Amino acid sequence: MLEVQSLSKSFYGTPAVDDVSFRVEDGEILGFLGPNGAGKTTTMRMITGFLPPTAGQVTLGGIDLLARPLEAKRHLGYLPETLALYPEMRVREYVAYRAELCGVPSKEAKARVDEALAKCFVTDVASKPIGNLSKGYRQRVGLAGALVHRPRVLVLDEPTVGLDPRQIVKVRELIRDLKKDHTILLSTHILPEVELVCDRILIIDKGKIVAQGTPETLRQEMSQHPGLAVVLKGEISEADVALRQIPGVTHAARIGAAGETRVLLESTQGADLREAVFREVVTRGWTLLELTPRQASLEDVFVRLVAREDVPAEADAETVARERAVTQEVPKFTEGAQ
Amino acid sequence: MKALVAIVKREFFSYFVSPLAYVVLTAFLLINGYVFYLIVLALNVPETPKTSFMSLFFTSIFYWIFMMLVSSIVSMRLLSEERKSGSIESLLTAPVSEATVVTGKFVGGWCFFLFLWLPTVLYPVLLARHGSLDWGPVAGGYLGIALVGALFISVGTFASALTKNQIVAAIVGFVLILAIFLVGLFRDFVNDPKLRETLAYLNLIEHMEDFARGIVDTRRLVYVASTVVFFLFLSTRTLELNKGK
Repeated sequence: MLEVQSLSKSFYGTPAVDDVSFRVEDGEILGFLGPNGAGKTTTMRMITGFLPPTAGQVTLGGIDLLARPLEAKRHLGYLPETLALYPEMRVREYVAYRAELCGVPSKEAKARVDEALAKCFVTDVASKPIGNLSKGYRQRVGLAGALVHRPRVLVLDEPTVGLDPRQIVKVRELIRDLKKDHTILLSTHILPEVELVCDRILIIDKGKIVAQGTPETLRQEMSQHPGLAVVLKGEISEADVALRQIPGVTHAARIGAAGETRVLLESTQGADLREAVFREVVTRGWTLLELTPRQASLEDVFVRLVAREDVPAEADAETVARERAVTQEVPKFTEGAQ
Repeated sequence: MKALVAIVKREFFSYFVSPLAYVVLTAFLLINGYVFYLIVLALNVPETPKTSFMSLFFTSIFYWIFMMLVSSIVSMRLLSEERKSGSIESLLTAPVSEATVVTGKFVGGWCFFLFLWLPTVLYPVLLARHGSLDWGPVAGGYLGIALVGALFISVGTFASALTKNQIVAAIVGFVLILAIFLVGLFRDFVNDPKLRETLAYLNLIEHMEDFARGIVDTRRLVYVASTVVFFLFLSTRTLELNKGK
């Protein structure tokens, strides 16, 4: 169990993390989501005792981290964002060193090291120097080192960054598998990862929690404004104005590109616009190429919550639409988007 | 305690995977071999006192220059390397205190320093085979090496805690060690008897000369032990303050 109470951190008076509270239950994976610079790593460093908080409390496995750091840290396994291992050490040596460092009894040490190596699929490289391994292997060696003492809480800071797609899949499977024995806090900015791996999501922006819940509840909250994407042939400048006239439409944004016009519509809850849009298009003599209902994805939730403050309420419709379109066409925040 | 042993072991053995260890070891043996050669030459002169000649080995200028250089080089990487690579984050989030980390690293570095001296034990053994040798001063000399080494390495550990750059750590460490070494020499420049006494207490050359005569003075032990603790304390505080940066 991991509990964080009104955790705050300021650097030279500028708040980086502001009054963050949450709880991760045993056997749960909490996805910690936020854009770069939102305060994810700062929060994680405070949870792991690497960075002293300005205010607040962290409880690891029922023990107060700030009052009794050594005992609390026995329950902690941490995979830092910038994972630095000792390149000259061999894999088994490193994991054994971590075991000794974390107080695993010498009698059990060998079995525990073997177990951790097997769990993280690194047994085959056990006698290789860490410096010779690929990034995916190194990441898993780091993970093996973090869980060799069977901590109750695992804190993983962007565990899949810099891995190739195959390795990402492997690491994700591994994390899901670890859920059985550990409480896991996982930070990431890769959205599909959260949906695939996490039970619950916490979105943080500018040091504050802006939303939390399961992926489903978050998506539902957002789909209160169902949308429709309409693609028309030719560049039709009055398309958005025309479609906005349809009853039930609350918002319309147009982007024209390469001989096509894309209009994004938002409607009031429960309204089905498809038929009305079709009739309107036919009446005006336009050619309808595409008509797609838009289910709010986690990207929408994320972009909406995180970008909200950046976009003024009465923003230029085109800018908003373009932003939306970008998120649609690049449905994954992959590593390239860093 | 287990964690401390783990850190000491890792620190000690990590020296042997870097070329630095072998470069230092080779240079060390070359220069000490030369000093020993000079001692043997001197022993060939009939009227030299034979028994305590080994003490030259512990008090020559080569000895001091080497002590200061080697300690600052041996200790430069102790903390700065981990801070630079970022592995300090994994280390400090393990259930170990900063004091344990600093002590472990200091002891690891010190053990390596003592290891460097190990081959030189051969010299008195050689001398003893070809003549009479008073082992008391030799043991005292090695005790002196261990103590002065501990003192210098603790200063180097502190220098290493100050920066992420190993070269900077080595230079700062060397300057601090040099200052500590030189402060006792100012005794000859002051007239105030109290100050003279204090500076004499800090005079490491005198410490070493005593040890090399086989005299173990508890004041010397207290001086070294308290200075080591002081610098390890400073290193721990520095490490705590720089955490997360």
